[in-house]
Amino acid sequence: MHIPDGYLSPSTCAVLYAAAIAGWYSALKRLKRMLLSRVVPLISVFAAFSFVVMMFNLPLPGGTTGHALGVTISAIVLGPSGAVLAISIALAIQALFFGDGGISTLGANCFNMAIVASLVAYASYRLIAAGAAIGSKRRVAAAAIAGYLAVNAAALIAAIEFGIQPALFHDARGMPLYAPYPLGIAVPAMMIGHLTLAGAAEAAISAGLVAYLQAADPTLLRNTAGVLPATETASALMPAATTSLRRLWMAVALLMVLTPLGILAAGKAWGEWSPSELAMRQSAGQTASAAGDSVAPSAPPAGMQRLAKLWTAPFPAYAPSFVKSARFGYLLSAMFAVGILVLVSFAAQFWVQRRREVRHS
Amino acid sequence: MARAGFLTSTMLGFTRALARAMVSEQIARQAGLLQSLDPRVRVIGLFTMVLAVLLSRRIAVIVALFFVAVIIAILSRVGVGMLVKRVWLVVLGFTGVIAFPAIFLTPGDPVAAFAGGPLRITVQGVQTATLLIARVETAVTFTSLLVLCTPWTHVLKALRTFRLPQEAVMLLAMTHRYIFLLVETAGQMFESRQSRTVGLLKGAAGRRITARSAGVLLSKSIELSNEVYLAMQSRGFRGEIRILSDFHMRSWDYLGLAAFLAAGSLSAWVGR
Amino acid sequence: MAMPPMFELRDVYFEYDGIPALHGLSVQIAEGESVALLGANGSGKSTLLRILDALYFPSRGQVCFSGQPLTPEALHQEEFALSFRRRVALVFQNPDVQLFNPTVFDEVAFGPLQMQWSKEEVLSRVSATMELMGIAHLRDRPPYRLSGGEKKRVALASVIVLDPDVLLLDEPTSTLDPRSQSQVIDLIQDWKGSSKTVITATHQLEIVDDIASRVLVLEEGRVGATAAPAEILANYELLLRANLVHAHRHSHGTITHSHPHLHSHSKHEHEH
Repeated sequence: MHIPDGYLSPSTCAVLYAAAIAGWYSALKRLKRMLLSRVVPLISVFAAFSFVVMMFNLPLPGGTTGHALGVTISAIVLGPSGAVLAISIALAIQALFFGDGGISTLGANCFNMAIVASLVAYASYRLIAAGAAIGSKRRVAAAAIAGYLAVNAAALIAAIEFGIQPALFHDARGMPLYAPYPLGIAVPAMMIGHLTLAGAAEAAISAGLVAYLQAADPTLLRNTAGVLPATETASALMPAATTSLRRLWMAVALLMVLTPLGILAAGKAWGEWSPSELAMRQSAGQTASAAGDSVAPSAPPAGMQRLAKLWTAPFPAYAPSFVKSARFGYLLSAMFAVGILVLVSFAAQFWVQRRREVRHS
Repeated sequence: MARAGFLTSTMLGFTRALARAMVSEQIARQAGLLQSLDPRVRVIGLFTMVLAVLLSRRIAVIVALFFVAVIIAILSRVGVGMLVKRVWLVVLGFTGVIAFPAIFLTPGDPVAAFAGGPLRITVQGVQTATLLIARVETAVTFTSLLVLCTPWTHVLKALRTFRLPQEAVMLLAMTHRYIFLLVETAGQMFESRQSRTVGLLKGAAGRRITARSAGVLLSKSIELSNEVYLAMQSRGFRGEIRILSDFHMRSWDYLGLAAFLAAGSLSAWVGR
Repeated sequence: MAMPPMFELRDVYFEYDGIPALHGLSVQIAEGESVALLGANGSGKSTLLRILDALYFPSRGQVCFSGQPLTPEALHQEEFALSFRRRVALVFQNPDVQLFNPTVFDEVAFGPLQMQWSKEEVLSRVSATMELMGIAHLRDRPPYRLSGGEKKRVALASVIVLDPDVLLLDEPTSTLDPRSQSQVIDLIQDWKGSSKTVITATHQLEIVDDIASRVLVLEEGRVGATAAPAEILANYELLLRANLVHAHRHSHGTITHSHPHLHSHSKHEHEH
């Protein structure tokens, strides 16, 4: 899943660097609430550990072997902020020292494998293992599922990054300048390997590690176990600080979901375009969406492409040309997707909290 | 014999990683063009070149940059044979497989159609596949030059002087240092495991052993980090990172930096 | 006017996860003394050294350094912490724990940098110390390219660069080859003659006479006996009780007899 240099356009790289930097910054800030002198050796040794675990060859059913990412166990033991930093450091050393994974794509790789994967792993582990005793079988299952989901979420994001390249970056004659495949090809091609091998490897190593720690070193599982009185009180003391932040995020997420919907609704209300306008729009957007609009039988349009057109289609002719392009549609679709994700994670958090409160009362 | 054993292949991976690190250190110590430049110039300069490769839309410019990379490699005493083996063939294998179907799948003007079938080769397809391979090969060559000609400690020193948070630099330094220790520890664990294993390990047993080894390594890592924490405290570490950097840019370094920036922006402009 | 002792411990208790390591230990160590802490594995030697270095704090009892109590609060004050960390140095048993910097130079410079010395002072003290310890040629080496003896010397250099008044050494000669062992013992002997306080934890009886003028025997978390080395080494019963020697029973023909047997393991395995 390491994206090498050359597959992503410079602007994609820049955007993903910015996203990764935002993730690192907030992770570092959250960790600084802990003792910084303790954080430095803990994160660096853990990063070294995940680096080494990435080199483990794991036998899989069917006689093949796979490599795990190690992000799930990091998220379980260190929590999401620690995992974001540890995996990012490991990826940076792979890129800068061993030349695996690109320099320009380091931001993208960290965003996918360190940030997205850590958050997905942490959230799903917490959700499934909520309330389970440290030694329970449910924690092992939770680790397996979290690992599977985390790797596949990271792969999906990577596939989307690949898949939007041809629509966004191509020359006048429609030749893609970077990764050449649209979403309809990139997503399935990427996911087949991850839904099977890579996902299974991460699931197996995460479950095995949690089972091992249950027997050998259960204190390490307490960090995110949610049963320590300390963490209970901490979360009970903190809502004042976190709820305001949570509200802000909720508002942003709602905005993200509603903007594309609003545009759609607005388009339906005002959009009464004539056939001539339609033709004009097609010629204007032709080069921009050559890859998406193509009738090549082997490249079925992806759902997201249809979605993209759905957002942009209703614009009246006098709208600036960029809003009618496929790129704008992608942007809106992505916004919509991210907004949905944030809202779903809030719903999950809320559900977990409710269940805990019910049990405690 | 069909399976040489996952333990063996993991250990081979360890050895290979260590061997690569040693080779890099050897090359980095030789007298060559890149080695003569300040590490900061090397990092900025080669990153500029990677960026130029990414920004350029013309294949001719990318090929020209590729030859620039080869000339820099030769002047820095990086063997072309090593680049072929370690970089070019690996990238060609990986990116070639990915790029090949694009010849058919990219919509555009047909060059040739296979009789009756839906498959046809398009001009755009051939171009995009070639462009992708050329771009990735060239970018990875520049990255490899940085990795091969700069000892890790110099990369770290260069990063210190950029406006990176000092925590990040310290994390990178300590992680790298302990990777070597943990690779050694894991290697010893696998070795003793292998000597005790008779016959082939079935999948499930193999998975259990690997997870167990990872678990032991994890416990050891946490223990190690506790000890390192104490050792750092003992020498006065209080969470504030203080690092010495002693770099002096000479006129030769400024010349090198100017050359990189000029070459990078020129090719980005021509290839735009 | 009587000087307060360098260290004074009164009725100190300490436990790890509920397992007692020190159990009502009381001891005084005067300035300039050289003391050997003798005890079997698990007798609390390492714990005691870490308490003396204010890395651990007792769960009960009091520890004073030059008359000042060592508490977490005291170590929280920057001024006291920095002066204490400069004056008291601990060399860990496992040098990998102590060598957490990317190069030997950075390792030796770490302590001085934490003390916020000027750049010139850091540079001159570090080079002088590396010269003294015979590691100047290793200046830019990463720790994974050092031998066991070299690692130990770098670890020693990294603390004596601060010119501490008190040196705490945890099993300084274990895991070393004989030549490196004698080098380290020579060093300790040099300090023994100076005004420095040297406290060495060891389970190797044969080096005690060289490195100490007083021996503390630790038994089950408290001081079992304290006397001059010759006296302790002559007391077989004590050594037997403290698990430092074991009776060795064997038979020659029909006669079975037992005699004490010195432990002299040059290797020491540590399980976590």
